Amino acid sequence: MTTALYATGWSLHLPGADLSAAGTGKWARTEAATADRAATLLGRKGLLSKDPATRLALCAVHRALGLAPGRHPVPEPLPGTAVVACSNLGNVETVARVARTVAEVGGRAVSVLDAPGVSSNVVSSAVALWFGFGGPNMMICSGARSGRAGLRTAALLLAAGRADRVVLVGVEPADEIALALHAGAPPLRAGAACVVLTAHPGPLAVHSRPPLPAAVPVPSGPVDRWGDSYGARDVVTLALAAHLVADEGHGPLAVGDPDDEPFAVIGGAS
Amino acid sequence: MPALVTGSAVRTCLGDGRRTFAALLSGACGAVPLRHPARARLNVSHGYHAAGTGPFGAARMLSACVAEAAAASGLDTDRRRVTALVGTGLRELGAVEEFALSGVRPPRSRLHFAEAVRRVLPGVTDVITVSNACSAGGHVLALAEDMLAQGDADAVVVAAADTMTQSMLAMIGRVSDPPTTRVRPFDRDRTGVLLGDGAAALVVEPADASGPALARVAGTGLSCDARHETAPDVDGICRAMRDAYARAGREPAETDLVIAHGTGTALNDPAECRALRAVVGAAGGSPLITAVKGAVGHTSGAAALVNADVAIRCLATGLVPPVAGLRTVLPEGAGLRFAVEDFVGLQPRLVQVNAFGFGGVNAVSLLEAP
Repeated sequence: MTTALYATGWSLHLPGADLSAAGTGKWARTEAATADRAATLLGRKGLLSKDPATRLALCAVHRALGLAPGRHPVPEPLPGTAVVACSNLGNVETVARVARTVAEVGGRAVSVLDAPGVSSNVVSSAVALWFGFGGPNMMICSGARSGRAGLRTAALLLAAGRADRVVLVGVEPADEIALALHAGAPPLRAGAACVVLTAHPGPLAVHSRPPLPAAVPVPSGPVDRWGDSYGARDVVTLALAAHLVADEGHGPLAVGDPDDEPFAVIGGAS
Repeated sequence: MPALVTGSAVRTCLGDGRRTFAALLSGACGAVPLRHPARARLNVSHGYHAAGTGPFGAARMLSACVAEAAAASGLDTDRRRVTALVGTGLRELGAVEEFALSGVRPPRSRLHFAEAVRRVLPGVTDVITVSNACSAGGHVLALAEDMLAQGDADAVVVAAADTMTQSMLAMIGRVSDPPTTRVRPFDRDRTGVLLGDGAAALVVEPADASGPALARVAGTGLSCDARHETAPDVDGICRAMRDAYARAGREPAETDLVIAHGTGTALNDPAECRALRAVVGAAGGSPLITAVKGAVGHTSGAAALVNADVAIRCLATGLVPPVAGLRTVLPEGAGLRFAVEDFVGLQPRLVQVNAFGFGGVNAVSLLEAP
């Protein structure tokens, strides 16, 4: 069977991060709106009740799809487009806030607007609802390895014919609860990244199944400098590698941990 | 792609799989007064509590189910590449709530279930936690079928677990007044959903695997409504059902038993009835319909696999439990056949298992005798 997927779009949405280390093109110089200012990219309608992680994920998907700023009409649900979202801490602030409200005021005081956020799949389902993606919808909450699990999931959905396009998005917030749960690790980086994958041959190959073609590792410097994006880190690195290969003239790049086999190679013969 | 189930284990408020099924056949209801420190502030008076919960109880129940199912199937992780897929709705978010209230910080590695699986199955090659609300178990079953079909794994442990979180209880209390005392799936006078602690694990192997099997999964269909954050959508549910039949290469008219999602909420049960009528009824099917949440509560991410275990036991015994709590069928259920009051003798050929979740995530599986 085929071992390659193809990337048709990608984005890094890391508010406040210096992307100059990732190249010199327009892509690397585009400013990323913070969660509070997500309306500048997404439009205001429907954003009010969205938590910061959901807003950042929506921004990353919006940019990876190459959409102009502003709210776009939501089509009838597209059954061929799947969403695979990767996050561990996306809804912990909502859960903590609801629990504190119950303790301090009582259950009557909780807001039903928080109902989607007490379930951990709020990010993946919000992306589907916002953009009208009616294909399989998966929320991976698998620790630091969530992104590679997400890529494996995306490859399966495409190979099984469950979707002809997968929006792979990783996100973590940096609120009080998320920061505290992440204490002891490198500083948490709030932000999101997205890679849009298809099985139709395209210019940028994404190999995710062994045997992987030979490739040099994607430079780790930029990702380390941006901070630990935890469950989003693998997707951040995939998006960076896609950018470097497609826009900055790099050869095939391997994505993975320094001391381990890579889990993906971007670019190269397909 | 079809796959074989070679091991299955369950934990609910009614006990392990065998005890749960026996209690279901007798029409038992496991609802008891809610045991939660915040009960007085939650407007939730009852729940379906399993034994041995408490902090990190989901992980403990999960470990027990994974160990039991793996042992039953004779799973050999030394010689075969085994991936574990864990579905959950609420992960261990109870530990996050505890942190918010008391400052006791949980290790972030225990918010997902890699450690809980590796503790009892150290040879597993990978553990992936999929947090897909109340249909998480059905979603990981679908992924397992795809992994086997693509040769990504030699066998897959498909597991799921959930215990109650205060934040989800608060949302249930917020929308039910007065509090529900028991779940009445598909009843005209249903008053809403209650949570149940639950876990389940299936060992799933390729369709050509040798050795005894419990059931064959003919296929699982998936969809996302992309219509509403929390309310179900008939079109989205129908897409998942049609996807299941298309993948399995089967006709809806072949189905003679449905283990329904049946949450006893105002919105789910009418939507599920309409979808069953549109996909199964319209194709000439007239299956018997049962549901377990009146007996074991809504086990969230584990619900689909709890349903699958019940389907397997219906296939094995030729007995179908009644819908506990169902007295008068809701108007939207007119013309559908529900198992009421007493168990029904039926040797099903094809069983449809439904699971729908927050965010409009739908999973529909078709099971049959191996």
